[in-house]
Amino acid sequence: MAKRSVLGLFTEDQVDEAGDAMEALASAGYTTNEYEVLTGTPYPEGTFGEAEPKHKLFRWPLTGAACGFIVGLLLTAGSQLAFPLVTGGKPILSIPPMAIIMYEGTMLGAITFTIVGIILESRLPRMFMGAYDKRISDGYIGVTVTTEEDRIPKAEEVLKQAGAGDITHGWESN
Amino acid sequence: MASHTDNGEYVEGMYVPFTSPTEVVNDLVNNHVKVSDMWLRGVVAASILLVLGIIGFVMNVMEGVSDRAVWAYYALMFSFILTTASAAPMVAIATRMANAHWRRPISRVAELWSAAGLFSLLLFIPMLWILPPLNDGRRSLWFYDVNDAFFSRVPIYSPHIWMSAAILALVALGVILLWLSAMPDLALMREHSTGWRQKWAARLSKGWVGSSKQWNMLYHRMGVVGAFYFMMLVFVHFLVSTDFLMALVPGWIDSLYPLTHAANSLQAGVATVILTMFFLRKFGGYEDYITLDQFWALSKLLFALSLLWFWFWFSSFNVFWYGKKPSEQAVLGYLMTGAYQPAFMAGFVLSFLTPMWFMMWNRVRKSFWGPAVMSVSVLVGTFFDKLRYYVPAWSVNDIGIVQKLGEPGAAHEMALDNLPKVNMPGVADVFIVLGVFGGAVLFYLLASRLIPPINIWEQKELVLYKFHKAYHRTEVMVLGKPR
Amino acid sequence: MQDHVQLSQTKINDDLLAGVLGMPKWWLPSVVVLVLIIFTGLGAYGYELNKGLGVSGLNRPVFWGFYITNFVFWIGISHAGIMISAILRLTQAEWRRPVTRAAEVMTIFALMAALSNIMFHVGRPWRLFWVYPYDFSRGIFMNIRSPFVWDPSAVMTYLIGSSLFVYVALIPDIAIVRDKATGKFAPKIYGVLCLGWRGTPRQWRLQAIAGILLSALVLPVFVSVHSIVSWDFAVAIGVEGWHSTIFAPYFIIGAIHSGVSAVAMIMALAIWLWKLENYLRPDHFDAIGRLLIVVAVTWFFFFFVEWIFALYTLEGPELALREFQVFQAPNMWLFLGFLLTAFFIPVPMWMFKRVRRSPMLMFFSTILVNVGMWLERFLIIIPGLARRQPLSFDWGTYNPSIVEILIVLETFAFVALGMLLFAKFFPIIPIFDMKEGMEVREEIKIGRRIVPASIRETP
Repeated sequence: MAKRSVLGLFTEDQVDEAGDAMEALASAGYTTNEYEVLTGTPYPEGTFGEAEPKHKLFRWPLTGAACGFIVGLLLTAGSQLAFPLVTGGKPILSIPPMAIIMYEGTMLGAITFTIVGIILESRLPRMFMGAYDKRISDGYIGVTVTTEEDRIPKAEEVLKQAGAGDITHGWESN
Repeated sequence: MASHTDNGEYVEGMYVPFTSPTEVVNDLVNNHVKVSDMWLRGVVAASILLVLGIIGFVMNVMEGVSDRAVWAYYALMFSFILTTASAAPMVAIATRMANAHWRRPISRVAELWSAAGLFSLLLFIPMLWILPPLNDGRRSLWFYDVNDAFFSRVPIYSPHIWMSAAILALVALGVILLWLSAMPDLALMREHSTGWRQKWAARLSKGWVGSSKQWNMLYHRMGVVGAFYFMMLVFVHFLVSTDFLMALVPGWIDSLYPLTHAANSLQAGVATVILTMFFLRKFGGYEDYITLDQFWALSKLLFALSLLWFWFWFSSFNVFWYGKKPSEQAVLGYLMTGAYQPAFMAGFVLSFLTPMWFMMWNRVRKSFWGPAVMSVSVLVGTFFDKLRYYVPAWSVNDIGIVQKLGEPGAAHEMALDNLPKVNMPGVADVFIVLGVFGGAVLFYLLASRLIPPINIWEQKELVLYKFHKAYHRTEVMVLGKPR
Repeated sequence: MQDHVQLSQTKINDDLLAGVLGMPKWWLPSVVVLVLIIFTGLGAYGYELNKGLGVSGLNRPVFWGFYITNFVFWIGISHAGIMISAILRLTQAEWRRPVTRAAEVMTIFALMAALSNIMFHVGRPWRLFWVYPYDFSRGIFMNIRSPFVWDPSAVMTYLIGSSLFVYVALIPDIAIVRDKATGKFAPKIYGVLCLGWRGTPRQWRLQAIAGILLSALVLPVFVSVHSIVSWDFAVAIGVEGWHSTIFAPYFIIGAIHSGVSAVAMIMALAIWLWKLENYLRPDHFDAIGRLLIVVAVTWFFFFFVEWIFALYTLEGPELALREFQVFQAPNMWLFLGFLLTAFFIPVPMWMFKRVRRSPMLMFFSTILVNVGMWLERFLIIIPGLARRQPLSFDWGTYNPSIVEILIVLETFAFVALGMLLFAKFFPIIPIFDMKEGMEVREEIKIGRRIVPASIRETP
């Protein structure tokens, strides 16, 4: 079934009401994957009663560093061995310059993989925004539910009962 | 550890175990005045080691002061104490300047190492006799040149004079800083203890009553003394590494080395404080105060300084290696890749590789044993690193120095021709190593009887600035920043 | 922060997006002037490309002149970004909030300006790609033992890393611009750039982790970049005054000195140009001023140690160089000017709180610092090369030509233009960071005193 989303908008002062809405959605049988809160500024973790987001970001810098290290090693060792010209009286495989370039490769790998990891772990890029309200950037708080189409009216009801002002609908891809 | 919420409820938290200054005082004062078994055992063990050290010292004296090589391990230990104990107060100074609240339980733990500075002053006195004057043909920082009309007028005992003044100033500043920081707590001891402690606390607290003027002056003075301590520490490292080390090895001109020496001492100082914290927490009964937060914060610092260790070393090494000047290659061969290579490798692995590899994991940083074990690694690595510098440098006994006479500045154009053979430690050297270690620990333990190792007044101050409160559906900590 | 202005989210959006959603009157004329300067500089470069490097002042033995001085200068300025952004993030200093993005963006454009100086400097720029590791048509790889190969690897790593860091931290603000922008294309373009950001707790949590993790990763790169640039000089034994191991930290602390001064300049400009007095408070200038005192004193100590060790050996050629640097015109005047502008005028000024809290005085004192630091790089490079040989018949002089002067001016205009263009399309002060700062701000009442505090999450 196609997924749809609905957003309940709360004002900046209705932080507790937004938290109540999250609790009510949980009680109404919606899973934590189906509802979430949208804010224009980071609040301390757990402000709305949400669980700590679990992520595996730390795999990315380690993988990237390993890849960068190997690339650096192949590049420096390979290029020196491919054309073994003695320069400045230094050995063919000169460790200090290799170390410098391998270090830069390692850091570049770590940083680029970390960036990719941050974007992907943030569940971005997101093709379809779903239900969203631009007033969230002005400090409003949105509680959004993404679920099958037939469960949307109930979610809308829960949000209204919790005190949501405006209700917006959105759609996700099939 | 607990703190109070807005409505006075008891909530588990960090830093402060009690909700009021009175409870903090009672807990810490009671812990301080009792003499624990572990403290007694520590004093006895340290005293035995110190006696061994004195025996080793006497054995060396009987061989005379003319041969520097005999005193190489003594110089090593003098530098080691300077590197570890004298740098430890920097943890308190820097964190106080940065207004970091996590420093509060451990600032005195760090400052008490100034007492071991008095021991380093005692160790310095024989060095004045051992270190040769400028006119014996070695290099000098003081531009001395026996062949030059102008530069031959530099006083030949300049290094001795400058170094004495610098180390006296450093030790004095350290003791003054300790005394200033301890003054409110000494006033507390004056009111809450008896016997010799009460008598000495009354003398040293100098009429402290806790007026706002006294508090303001205290902050101001601690800031100024702290800043001067840092500057003097860098200066002392500069003098020790140049006059007492670099100047003894012909051809060794490393402009970065004084700063390497200072940076390595910051790393060793942090490691010293972490290890001291560990022992105080485990055996001193201070688990409520020295918590995971202190270990976590200092382990991050130790990690960063371990990375800096590599950077300082590599900066010097790369310039020497790439340039391929014969004098510099000889120095690298002597101090690093030759007979002292095992010491270099031990220093490299223990001061850099091990801390880097293990402390990049948060699980290691955010624990008690992790930083403690890494600190041991860093301290042992520092010892071997200093060994590979000081022992060979002090073993260069004017052997094979190339000297071109008649040219201005010729005395400085020296190269290390014949490498002296490796100076293996004898019985006296082992005794000296153990003795200096024991002596420093003994001075610390004795000082900690008079001055509480946990800074009581800073703990009381924290009660004002830190509390927990409910924040919608979660709980947050509120930390005040008064300055 | 002791003086703080609490603002609503809407007000913050309006203030910080004024330059993005609208156009201040001074913006377009400034861009036109800067573009003209850039075109003039590029025209001069075109002339140099056509006629050869002989139109510059470079000649035996001073093979490195204005271009390399400018290269090192801009690498130095680029260190401000990470110093302010990464170190202050890691120490959780609240005063970093308004200045991180401007510093990071300046880093990116400064690095580009630095790299362009290499292009201007080499005689055959069409061969610059030879530093890249492929040998298909040339039959030879680059020589990785050379510092001139370490340089691009370090600078490109730093440039890529900083750019990605800026982008990731910019995503939430691009989302705000997406929500506030009007018109047919702007919301769509910003929507694509922000990758569909919505502001879920997961996304915010990863933003916070990104800030700390990337700061920790970029910081070692920051240390390595200027170390490697300094080794261009330090590893060479042929030039007096260069073969000194202290060059790596000396250059880095000098870079921090000039870079943080440049950030202070930009802060003052931001107040005057974009009317951001509510965001860049006197407290921020005070904090940056105190940081500058520590950095400047440390830098001066390194400078002093470098000189001590230069004179330590009392070698003839080294003494000849130092005498040339300090006692012979025109270097004598440049040296005096460098000492005064880089240290002896600004640092005593910064000792006074009134100076530190004044944007105007901080602006002028930090301009002086950057003039001094440019001269410092000049005095390291040119006199050493002019006195390169112990035999005086090969001693030379250096007279910069108008081509070099125009190109150097072009780099300054380039960085300024880059920052202005960035500030037109993206908020130069991080909006979400400022909002977070307002959200976590607390006050503790102790007797009659209100002490500012901040909320920290309990681990």
